Amino acid sequence: MEGHQRNQSLYDRFNARVVGVSVDDVTTLKYWAKSLDLTFPLLSNLTGFLGSYFGVGPSPEIKGFPVFSRKTVIIDKRGIIRYAKDGEPDFKGILLFLKQMNKEGGKP
Amino acid sequence: MKKRWVLVLIAVMVLGLWLSGCATTEAPKKPYRMSPQGTVIWNDEFEFKPPPSAWKIIQVEVGGEFGFGFLKADRGPFPSQSMFVYDEEPFGCSTELGERGGEFFKRYLWSTAMIADMKILEKKNVSVLGGEGLAVVAEGKDSVKKEKVQSKVVFGKRGDRVVAFYLTQWRPMDGTYDPSAFEVFDQFWGSFRYLKKSFYETIAQDP
Repeated sequence: MEGHQRNQSLYDRFNARVVGVSVDDVTTLKYWAKSLDLTFPLLSNLTGFLGSYFGVGPSPEIKGFPVFSRKTVIIDKRGIIRYAKDGEPDFKGILLFLKQMNKEGGKP
Repeated sequence: MKKRWVLVLIAVMVLGLWLSGCATTEAPKKPYRMSPQGTVIWNDEFEFKPPPSAWKIIQVEVGGEFGFGFLKADRGPFPSQSMFVYDEEPFGCSTELGERGGEFFKRYLWSTAMIADMKILEKKNVSVLGGEGLAVVAEGKDSVKKEKVQSKVVFGKRGDRVVAFYLTQWRPMDGTYDPSAFEVFDQFWGSFRYLKKSFYETIAQDP
């Protein structure tokens, strides 16, 4: 998430907005956002339905704990998923994709 | 009978050689080369003076906390070792050096595996990467594990983003720090320069 925060000015430049989604509760997310100095919105999705919608399940690497895998999704202004990647965010890949989308006029 | 065994042996050897040929993989390409001046050219992007040979290269290629650096096993019992790295994405988000220092040390404690308070021993402005920088020396002690760590972190700028160099030296609680590692580290960041613009500087340019 810090990586996304560091890239905020570039996301603005490419007309993109970041939203984080987590199965943590609102109070936890508030403290977390404060500790990392995050300025973009974090959504608390306790039931995990958004994760299911985007194909995110419990992490196979951490068994026995309700830790969900990470996924990065880019949605364009028409609501179409244009990019999806499991695991650690590829920040450079995301920026290149957003720059290309912005150039094409398909603002995220 | 003997002839048949020799033939079988030759067949096995040929098969073995063929299979080993299939299993051969290309050696990974080194990320650096030496310049005629004796400096290290890293990925055609960075140039710096190499540390002595006792320092071994370490790097994280995917999803790591730092880019690359050097590690040295020191004399003495565990955890006697020193490590310094160049980090393009140091902890924190601020583009102001002082603020970034504060953000960095909130999480650096975890990174050094020291469950203890980290105290700032020294903080001063320095010149790094051809511009203004901030050097911070800190120490953390873990009375449960009976270990301690001393770190020097130098924050600088690449374009409008903050980068960092940091040395971490781990010791048992009664161990003594090795100042020569800090001298090697100072040479590293003092000689460090960029050979081209960063990804972030390039992508920010139009079109």
